[in-house]
Amino acid sequence: MAKKIGVYVCECGTNIAEKVDIDKVIAAVSPIKDVEVAERHKLLCSDGGKEFIKQSIAEHGLTHVVVAACSPKQHEVTFMNVCEQAGINPQLSQLANIREQCAWVTSSAEEATDKAIRQIRAAISRVKYHAPLKKKEVVVSPDVLVIGGGIAGIKASQLLAAPDRKVYLVEKASSLGGKVKSFSKLFTNMESGSSLITQEIKSLLDNKNIEVLTESEVEQILGFLGNFEVKVIRKAEGKEQNFNVGAVVLATGFELFDPKGLPQYGYGKLDDVYTSLEFEEMNIPDGPTGGKVLLKNGKPPESVAIIHCVGREEKDYCSKVCCLYSFKFDRMLQSQLPGVKVSHFYSDLCIPGKSFQKFYEGTKEMGVEFVRSAKTEVTGNGKGLTVKYETEFGKQDSSTTDMVILLPAMESSGDAQKFAEMLNIPLDEKGFLVEEHQLLSPVSSAVEGIFVVGCAQGPQSISESIVQSEAAAGKILSALVPGRKLELEVRVSEISESLCLGCKTCIDVCPYGAITFDETRRISVVNEVLCHGCGNCAAACPSGAARLKHFTFPQIYQELKEVLR
Amino acid sequence: MEEGFTPKIVGFLCNWCSYAGADLAGATKLEVPSSLSVIRVMCSGRVDPVLVATALLHGADGVLVAGCHPGDCHYREGNYYARRRFALLKKTFETLGLDSDRLMLAWVSASEGQRFGEVTNEFANQIKKMGPNPMKTKNTL
Amino acid sequence: MTGERAMTNKEQNAPVLVIGAGIAGIEASLLLANSGRKVYLVEKTSYIGGNVIKFEEVFPNMDCATCMIAPKQQELLANENIELLTLSQVEAVSGSFGDFSVKIRKKARYVDLENCIGCDACFDPCPVEVDNEFEERLLKRKAIYVPCAGALPNVPAIDTENCLRFKGQDCKACQEACMFEAIDYTQQDEDIDLKVGAIVIATGFSMFDISKTTEYGYKKLSGVYSAMEAERICASNGPTQGQIILQGGEPPKSVAIIHCVGRKEKGYCSSVCCMASLKLSHFIKAKLPEVKISQFYSDLCIPGKAYQKFYEEVKESGVDFIRAVVTEVSKSGNELAIKYKTEDGKENTLTVDMVILNPALEPGADSSKLAEILNIPQSKDGFFSEKQPDLTSVDTIKEGIFIAGCAQSPKDIAETVAEAEATAGRILSLSK
Repeated sequence: MAKKIGVYVCECGTNIAEKVDIDKVIAAVSPIKDVEVAERHKLLCSDGGKEFIKQSIAEHGLTHVVVAACSPKQHEVTFMNVCEQAGINPQLSQLANIREQCAWVTSSAEEATDKAIRQIRAAISRVKYHAPLKKKEVVVSPDVLVIGGGIAGIKASQLLAAPDRKVYLVEKASSLGGKVKSFSKLFTNMESGSSLITQEIKSLLDNKNIEVLTESEVEQILGFLGNFEVKVIRKAEGKEQNFNVGAVVLATGFELFDPKGLPQYGYGKLDDVYTSLEFEEMNIPDGPTGGKVLLKNGKPPESVAIIHCVGREEKDYCSKVCCLYSFKFDRMLQSQLPGVKVSHFYSDLCIPGKSFQKFYEGTKEMGVEFVRSAKTEVTGNGKGLTVKYETEFGKQDSSTTDMVILLPAMESSGDAQKFAEMLNIPLDEKGFLVEEHQLLSPVSSAVEGIFVVGCAQGPQSISESIVQSEAAAGKILSALVPGRKLELEVRVSEISESLCLGCKTCIDVCPYGAITFDETRRISVVNEVLCHGCGNCAAACPSGAARLKHFTFPQIYQELKEVLR
Repeated sequence: MEEGFTPKIVGFLCNWCSYAGADLAGATKLEVPSSLSVIRVMCSGRVDPVLVATALLHGADGVLVAGCHPGDCHYREGNYYARRRFALLKKTFETLGLDSDRLMLAWVSASEGQRFGEVTNEFANQIKKMGPNPMKTKNTL
Repeated sequence: MTGERAMTNKEQNAPVLVIGAGIAGIEASLLLANSGRKVYLVEKTSYIGGNVIKFEEVFPNMDCATCMIAPKQQELLANENIELLTLSQVEAVSGSFGDFSVKIRKKARYVDLENCIGCDACFDPCPVEVDNEFEERLLKRKAIYVPCAGALPNVPAIDTENCLRFKGQDCKACQEACMFEAIDYTQQDEDIDLKVGAIVIATGFSMFDISKTTEYGYKKLSGVYSAMEAERICASNGPTQGQIILQGGEPPKSVAIIHCVGRKEKGYCSSVCCMASLKLSHFIKAKLPEVKISQFYSDLCIPGKAYQKFYEEVKESGVDFIRAVVTEVSKSGNELAIKYKTEDGKENTLTVDMVILNPALEPGADSSKLAEILNIPQSKDGFFSEKQPDLTSVDTIKEGIFIAGCAQSPKDIAETVAEAEATAGRILSLSK
């Protein structure tokens, strides 16, 4: 089919016209083969300018459009839309930058004009090689799999569930609730965590759009955004359950760093050295001690030492919430055992935000002692425990205590590793699943369609975990609308079956895991749902099989050829 | 070195950082060598070493590849691959006795309009001093 | 409590009002708009991007802030479901979840958003020069201005308080310089009535006014800067094009960064300043490898999985960390003397060329006015109060009105974005 290219050169008021000799440009490009018409206009991005192009397209029966104006970053989409409205596939257009990168940066009018002509010639040559790429859509499932039935998983499920969006909540334990079940009090309002979670669970179980699978584990997840195939093992029945979802939320929670590996604290050797979770359990009404804070000998402690940052040096991060929940412990202790002497041994207080300093000051007012210690050790002394500490100035001292509560670092739960492997999500060196972008996409994992929330993402408070669950819900609700197809990026990569050698280099370099290997045909295949169009595969491919649509070698070569003429 | 020699320099700029930086140089009306012709790619990682070699063999006196600063790549890692390929290409050029100084890799962010001006002017001056590309005798268009 | 009552159809589909076009407002707007909802994004200033675009780099990975946020800004401006109202403020709100009536006061820009192509030709001829607030008054701007190069939308606004024409004189300098007929003095302030189903408060933060303190010599001694002034000095599109130089034009040989300025007065920890101080150290040391940097702090606040590593890198680069209370900054010849007291009671002095003061974060300037209009309680410091402090931080006591970002409490960008996404989650969810 004969090509008929319309070339439109924008004056941009005087921005381009005062430097570039537009008449000369028009004269230079008009004779080029396939250029049907070359015109100038005062301001092409204005309503008048856009109409002008549309009318010209109709009048001349154009097949391709080249606009010479400002940067494509400003108006590529504008002129693509004009083409579409005029009946031309928007990909059959090209915008030559003769303003920001020509008229505005070249003081010599002669040089600016020559440069403009070069860039427009390049655009004309290139556009002839453009393909009329079509928009693609895929059907997606709006349903969601939530892994982990703690507070984060529960909140995400509640927010996502709807008559046209089913949520599958998979929990490996026999009941829901996670860690919050064990918290008799929450900071800062000192309300019951177990009551909170009980209410949430009840409300969740009433929700007809949530299928709860307890005592179950996810065995396999295949697929990609919009189309994940999930296999769950129901341990109690020994059965398999399979279903499809569009997105996955990982809410596998945390475990505490095991202080047994740190002999200086005596955990596991000395009596009455507890971790924070053990202390929490002591306070649950139906817990091992009936809710009473007791030493091994059955008596209540008269003094308690709380040691911060246990394992911080080994893990190399601050677990964010331990200072805060330790102040909660102070209140719990004082409330149950009025007159108990509590001392904290800490390095830096981490109390960020508008309310937490007040919470800390209230704790101090209760008579709780705070000792800044660079090195802390716990030893037995025959009658009880001795806490030895060294200040930052090298001064050494010690104090005796009945009970020690250690605040160990919070680690991602062991399941994170399993899912990292299953889903191909990298784990950072701290063991947490890596986000898509630490600042701008904190709850999206590096794999599209899979979200990580709560302590699986990083140590954080209940409030922050709930916010993250709501955030994941927000991203899923925004992207996967029931009944709406997912629109794909048009300028994606494709791999020629005949040219592909099966070397898999493209698979290695793809930042999005968008390329898979078809074992039967022994070739690489691009998943257009996941491809972002960066072109790394095209650059890496030794045989030229991988090409990035709209940025193919021939297309770029056309530009190259013209600018070097 | 030839007097009055106007070099032809090709710049492959990535859409998200360096192309935007070049636009900013324009918005702030800095002087950028008119000998530079820009070809936009989505990512510096798209720049195949064959493209760069082709440019030089077809008459470019200098080739500039510019991308986002390491760590800032819009596509996460593309610029790391660009860096590796470029290093290998430079080495190949040296091994073949070709002038690898005609190749330049630069990181220019979207807010570095000034830097874009500096980098391109410096490169253009360097190429001018080096004279025309000796490879462009037979294959030049 | 979620799950209690499913939304009515009205609540489900109604447009949403987002107040504040910083990173929180932008993210919430995009998520809502991409799901098909109409969004009115109301922004008090003439530009989008809020505080994030003032930073050259952001912690912990030293991302280029403007590069990082540019795709989001462009996506926002191109999104057909988002109606951006700049130079606009909320004047009145009535109604309830699903059915709020909002009155917006939109100030005139006096420059046509459609016709203006951002060529900047109107700046030179303007005879008025005033301090540029965006540049922390380290640079001047004209009465017709954009806050900085690269600000979006790339269309200037006329500052009617300083423009000669709006003060009664017949000056037409900018209009005469514009060849696109984009400058229109006849534009009027508008009252816009909107009907929305939900509201997101994303008004961000401002910084504690350091001139309320006396011990640091701020605004009195040369070489003493606020953190935001330092950020602008570091910025490649700022007053010094990213060169770290003092008023005399020379780079400093030694720098002290003082944390917790205003913490005593405000009574809370602003969460991000330790990290921001580390970032400034890192940046300055990269630009001036020989510089000596000392940090004065009380407790190091570097929470979460990502921050400690950065602290350790900064420490290894030779930055000194001094746990102390700074009692006085005074002039000492050509330098500045910092008197400080460590926790063992000892007093000491350190002499430096440059002092950077890191102040507390406060809620955005018009928060109290907005809280009154929305009838939402604030903490005594002016932060918008969440409904239940130990549960999600995005709920207010008013159903359908949500908060995201530093308007609720000082926090970093990741937490801000999570909250913005959370408000979208709450609004888009059928459950409440």
